[in-house]
Amino acid sequence: MFDLSSATTRRAKRGLRREWRLHVLSVFSLSVAFVCLAASLLVVTNLQAIERRWARAGRASVYLKDDATSADVTQLKDALAKVPGVTAVRYVSSGQARDQFAKDDDPKGALAALPAEAFPASIEVDVQADVTDEGLADIVSKLEKLPAVDGVETYQSWTERLARLVRGGVAASAVLAVIVLLSVLAVVGSTMRFVLQRRRAEVEVLRLVGATDSFVKAPFVIEGSLQGALGATVAVALLGAMFLIVHSRIDGELAMLIGVEPSFLPWPFVLGMVALGAILGAAAASLGLRRLVQV
Amino acid sequence: MPDNGEARPFRPKLRAGARFGADAAQRPILLFEDVYKSYRPGAPVLRGMNLVIERGEFVFFTGASGAGKSTLLRLLYRAETVDEGRILFMGRDVARLTPDSVPFLRRNIGCVFQDFKLAGAWSVYENVAITLEVLGLPQRLIRARASEALDRVGLSGRGSDPAAVLSGGEQQRVAIARAIVGEPALLLADEPTGNLDPQLAIDILGLFEEINESGTTVLFATHDRSLLELRSRRIVVLDNGKAVDVRSGIAPETIESDFDNELPV
Repeated sequence: MFDLSSATTRRAKRGLRREWRLHVLSVFSLSVAFVCLAASLLVVTNLQAIERRWARAGRASVYLKDDATSADVTQLKDALAKVPGVTAVRYVSSGQARDQFAKDDDPKGALAALPAEAFPASIEVDVQADVTDEGLADIVSKLEKLPAVDGVETYQSWTERLARLVRGGVAASAVLAVIVLLSVLAVVGSTMRFVLQRRRAEVEVLRLVGATDSFVKAPFVIEGSLQGALGATVAVALLGAMFLIVHSRIDGELAMLIGVEPSFLPWPFVLGMVALGAILGAAAASLGLRRLVQV
Repeated sequence: MPDNGEARPFRPKLRAGARFGADAAQRPILLFEDVYKSYRPGAPVLRGMNLVIERGEFVFFTGASGAGKSTLLRLLYRAETVDEGRILFMGRDVARLTPDSVPFLRRNIGCVFQDFKLAGAWSVYENVAITLEVLGLPQRLIRARASEALDRVGLSGRGSDPAAVLSGGEQQRVAIARAIVGEPALLLADEPTGNLDPQLAIDILGLFEEINESGTTVLFATHDRSLLELRSRRIVVLDNGKAVDVRSGIAPETIESDFDNELPV
């Protein structure tokens, strides 16, 4: 049985113990880079959740003209109820709209003096979640042609804006990921070159006794990998702590406003980031030690 | 295979020569053929050097400073490569080894230097055991053989001491233990007594002679005239880039004239 792995691990442990200050500094630098990436991913995942929530909203508000009669309303409701995909139709009068606004958005009554006419009457239409954008647009275009209808709001524009925001967030995360990658390569690579200089005598001895390149490099690669993984772990832990603080303060209000409860990064993301840190750290150490001390 | 049915203790084959045919054992362990080496154009250190070293020999290499003693040894463990000519170690041309093969060459050669070349932060045991760890041997075997090597150089019980706190003589013993623990076919010593007082130097020389008696070929580079006079051994004088072989010792006056009075008297 060969005991190469335990010898390598022992040398890595010894190196970590001896150069712990340098490694701590390196882990701190890496965690700063990773916290930026993790924060952007956190924003993107929550924006995606909001986008999904609003994309599923399946609602349309059909605003009626002021001169629409109750017969028009009844006729419209009946017609809408027969449209495929429509699940519920509800009439909201001007007075009901004002009361709802006062309850949800103006609890202090600052706009209580506004007359009921300021709020147009509408028919709220719920459609099935599986109705496509094209299907909904088709319904809307038909509704807009009816004489009693003043306009139709489908919230699709909001979903599109959110989707654009999410795409922007994803692009920003990709840029940050590249920056993180370069940071890891720079920080771990420099640390390892510095460590190599400090352990020059050790490497010289290894060369003399016939150690292969991989044997010499292995503990440094383990150290680099640990640095990367620890940097990512510290970053996720810091972000988690910040998230908990913010979550406890604004959770209720924010969730009501956006219709989605803010959530932390999913476990696969967290584990993926730690794995990414470990792989990047190992790669950076390996690249940083391309030219080993020659004897 | 044991014929009595008893299991033999595990003994790895560390000598590359063991893989060779029976005729390999008859060949010289080292053969230098027209070896040229220069660091600066027009100033070769070795110029057409020829030399044969047989298995089990103890050879002193000597010569003035800059004569090429260290270069010769560096060529052997492939820290340098020859400009021209060949160096055959166990029948293989050292200069033609691929970089990936160099570690395997070094596993067959033990090296001892004037400046010890120890990892100061490691313990005595770790400095010795690393030779066997590189080979991937089990820890149990490494412990046994490292202890045996330390015992052989008179450092038993000192395994846990940090190498950096030892005296010069003790550090050199650690370096020797490291060099011999893998049972190399060839032991190179580059001025191993250069940093030691005369009595310690004689002790260390005695240690090399003991190692040689167990069958290991020893090349001992020194310019310490007192050591050369102390023992009647084969002496190879490096002069003007060539090796002058003096098989059965050398008279002091010859040394003086050969070295142009540069040797310490």
